[in-house]
Amino acid sequence: MSFLAFFFIVASLLSFVTAQLVLKRAMESTRKSGFRNFQFFARVAGGITLMTISFFLTLGLLQRFDLSYLYPFQGLSVIFITVTAAVVLKEKLNWQLTIGALLITVGIVLVSLS
Amino acid sequence: MTNQPMRHRPAGFANPWLQLVLSVLCVLASEFLLKRGAADVAEPESAWSWTGVNGLASPLVWWAILLIIASFVSWLYVLRYIPLTIAFPLSRVVDILVPLGCWIFLGEFISTLRWCGIALVVIGLALVAKPIAQIEERL
Repeated sequence: MSFLAFFFIVASLLSFVTAQLVLKRAMESTRKSGFRNFQFFARVAGGITLMTISFFLTLGLLQRFDLSYLYPFQGLSVIFITVTAAVVLKEKLNWQLTIGALLITVGIVLVSLS
Repeated sequence: MTNQPMRHRPAGFANPWLQLVLSVLCVLASEFLLKRGAADVAEPESAWSWTGVNGLASPLVWWAILLIIASFVSWLYVLRYIPLTIAFPLSRVVDILVPLGCWIFLGEFISTLRWCGIALVVIGLALVAKPIAQIEERL
């Protein structure tokens, strides 16, 4: 894998993980202050922008690599999002969720390696 | 904080678990369309194609975008009620639905290693889903 490919794979993954955290924050805020507030729109716009960046980077990568090659990296998003949601959003993370997320990640990697 | 949003869970079509299923199905269909669309218009020698923008020349990519928008709306709704630590791992069921779909509908071969991977994902999903089932039972 070239440095450029590695860079775009990491950039795509990071923008996707960050987008999920931003969108979760946005939707959580609607439970207290409804949909008509600036923070909600700003966060949704930020989340959509990050997801759009991730989408186009993935589309560029799909033109060069097989879907099965890119899947292990997509699989890593499970563990990244689970951990960052616990750290950044302060969601509870018990051993069942942690082991479950780890198994899903390893499983996705095995599926794509086969 | 984590499990509080599930307490006032809407029913019927507004049920966040149903929306999670719909979101997963849209993503599943879009994955196939994106791969086909991107392969149809691939220009690996062009540096500009790293951005993926040239993929928009394929009608299949546009269909995939429509499905992605639908799944995104469902996903936003899901995020309003279900913690990310639960919703996101569950949404990755799509990663085993793709190879399973190829096996069931296309008759493709699944190797032992792939079956092992699918089994791990299923066990992982069961572990993530178990606390939810207990919470739902109490409600």
